[in-house]
Amino acid sequence: MEVTISATNEILTTDGIPLKVSLKKAERKNKIRAFLLVFPLLLFIIVTFVVPIGDMLLRSVDDSQINTVFPKTFEEYKKWDRQDLPPEEVYKSIFFELAEGEGIQIGKALTRMNYSKSGWKSLIKKTKRKIKKIVKSGDLPTSYKDTMIEIHKGWGDPSFWVSMSQMTDERTLIYYWNAIDRTYDIDGNVIMQDEKRRMYIKTWIRTLKVSVYVTFFCLILGFPVAHLLANLPLRYSNLLMIFVLLPFWTSLLVRTTAWIVMLQQKGVINGVLVWLGIINDDQRIQMVYNMTGTIIAMTQILLPFMILPLYSVMKVIPKSHMRAAQNLGAKPVKAFIRVYLPQTVPGMSAGGLLVFVLAIGYFITPELVGGKDGQLIGHWIAYHLKTTLNWGLCSAIGSILLAVMLVLYWLYNKIVGIDNIKLG
Amino acid sequence: MSKFIKAFLLAFIAFPFAANAVTVASWGGAYTESQIKAYKDTYSNPDIIQFENYNGGLGEVRAQVESGNVAWDLVDVLPDQAITGCDEGLFEDISGEYGNFIAADNGDGLVADMAANGVTNLSDCCGPQIFWTYVVFYDPDAFPGEKPSKIADFFDVEKFPGKRGVHTWANGFIQMAMVADGIAPNAVYKVLKSQTGAVDRAFAKMDEIKDHIVHWSAGAKPLELVKSGEVIMSIAYNGRVGAAVLSEGENFEYIWEGQLLEQEYLCLMTGAPDRENALDFLIHSTSPASQAEQAKYITYGPMRASGIDIIKAGEPWFHTGIDVMPHMPNTPERLKISVMGDPEWWADNGAEIDERYAAWMGN
Repeated sequence: MEVTISATNEILTTDGIPLKVSLKKAERKNKIRAFLLVFPLLLFIIVTFVVPIGDMLLRSVDDSQINTVFPKTFEEYKKWDRQDLPPEEVYKSIFFELAEGEGIQIGKALTRMNYSKSGWKSLIKKTKRKIKKIVKSGDLPTSYKDTMIEIHKGWGDPSFWVSMSQMTDERTLIYYWNAIDRTYDIDGNVIMQDEKRRMYIKTWIRTLKVSVYVTFFCLILGFPVAHLLANLPLRYSNLLMIFVLLPFWTSLLVRTTAWIVMLQQKGVINGVLVWLGIINDDQRIQMVYNMTGTIIAMTQILLPFMILPLYSVMKVIPKSHMRAAQNLGAKPVKAFIRVYLPQTVPGMSAGGLLVFVLAIGYFITPELVGGKDGQLIGHWIAYHLKTTLNWGLCSAIGSILLAVMLVLYWLYNKIVGIDNIKLG
Repeated sequence: MSKFIKAFLLAFIAFPFAANAVTVASWGGAYTESQIKAYKDTYSNPDIIQFENYNGGLGEVRAQVESGNVAWDLVDVLPDQAITGCDEGLFEDISGEYGNFIAADNGDGLVADMAANGVTNLSDCCGPQIFWTYVVFYDPDAFPGEKPSKIADFFDVEKFPGKRGVHTWANGFIQMAMVADGIAPNAVYKVLKSQTGAVDRAFAKMDEIKDHIVHWSAGAKPLELVKSGEVIMSIAYNGRVGAAVLSEGENFEYIWEGQLLEQEYLCLMTGAPDRENALDFLIHSTSPASQAEQAKYITYGPMRASGIDIIKAGEPWFHTGIDVMPHMPNTPERLKISVMGDPEWWADNGAEIDERYAAWMGN
């Protein structure tokens, strides 16, 4: 463009607009264009990633529905001194809130109440029917407390009233506590869950344990394979690559089932061992329908996620480095440890993180081969999502899983450095 | 070429929006196959019915209703979920329509016909389907001497050494343990409701075989386990065992004592896209004739008493020309030794017991 210098010493373009403004305008146009280009992707990420995670986090602390159904009852309940049974006002409030409440809202509320104590569901349903009859007849009782206990003896059972202390807040942490085997007592203190029901902490530890084992075995098994892949002549490495990718493309269910055939007591491995005389017929090893089976099957299924990043990193390590190290006097083992291994760290990190993250949330394989002690936390997410409809607990477990992942990521960043991760 | 692509794309786009179709979500496999043959193929307008598979549970149902984006019309659910779904308003209350359901030949309407079969807790939102059971079965060839005949034998590893197949959740196994412990089958739920230590007692009984259990989670698994000799007997869905015997020529025996009879319901989704046709199809599929027809293809028992009468009169009823009554879980003599499921109690206590069972399994 032709540039003139105006009287005010401002640089102008031919159409008289200051150059600064004109440039800014052009730049803004570019910016908008760039934004419009990424906008669909941004929208996609917001809709499929940010919103669901936000929704999950909100649900994990939300207890507002029940508070809209029994506001008066909870208000009276909070005044109660927590001795013996609640006073008449509490019974009166719940009597009328049950009689006048909308059916579906009460239905939703009692599903939620049942999470805190088994039995709420039928207690309220049975009572509601009778209360409606009483209200219809117009013959209101003099003592609501006595009437309700007469309708169902559950109303005289303090343990129901104890459990109500878990529901009175619109924002609650009860689901998080439940997800680690804890609950509230009547004064809102955190206590351990009934001993017989404690299994979430165990499942969390088991999930972490299995994930660590699987990651470790994947690394041990994947490293030599990736090394071979990267260093063999193309002819052989291509064939080998097919052996890695073929199972990768095979259905998860098929591979899991194949492992059952291999590992079960009347299966291939036990059969061969018995045939060779290594074990007796009555000593067949239990390798599936327990944690061993879960670890073996998951290791094989997740192995490609370790091999592929390792391979792509190893592929670009010049062969001359090892030769140079050996020329300078290092023995092969030392050269490997000091020169080769450090250069593969980005691949190991990428593969390790990938395998670990996939393993910690794994569902189908542990479900099928897990049996007695091989089921992971994913099982309970599915269970509460589908069977009990306890989406609060479901979200809490999911959020904890997310937090565990973020902590690991942070740790990793501290120790190895996130720039040190490479997929190729 | 471009014509082909166009047709291909059109098929893809058009499929999910098939006009005026009633979508029925069910469990898949041989069960859905039997529903298609018994309900859809006998329906006056079969083309508008389409079956879709799902994995059970109310998760998807609630997600559809809450988002206001209801894709299914009818859903096949377990009885405790029929209750929960109805309470939560996920399913529509159709108890007012029960009078329009097809009556039995003896004049009994739906509710009376169900009561004649022992079902008094019919869910308000659903039409009845079938009885299915958790039952113990074994391969008689694995027992050269005495064969197990009582549920106590399942819990007696000294008399019958070997592994047992049990599922990874509690329902069914708990009730069997109680019967094996000496509680009369028809008193199991009475004891569960009235005695505080009843569940402890069941778990104590289960402890006796704890180290002899192989835990399965997919319905096809117990058949493989027994067939391969991995276990000597196993709990299974009775229909799976019946199908193996009647359609595949396997040789299995049942231990009917202590079996748990569970109901199955077809429920109308709240906000179903094609409510009128869906309700009409529901009425058709719960008719005594349709219920009996289903037993031609799978050995689950009709929940309507009149359905059984039709089968009895028509033996050999199974589609391969074999008598089906020997495999039906709810014949009068078997009902006497069966536990009748109480979905209301299970809807109350199921979650707690499942958690406890998981803790027990993993210890």
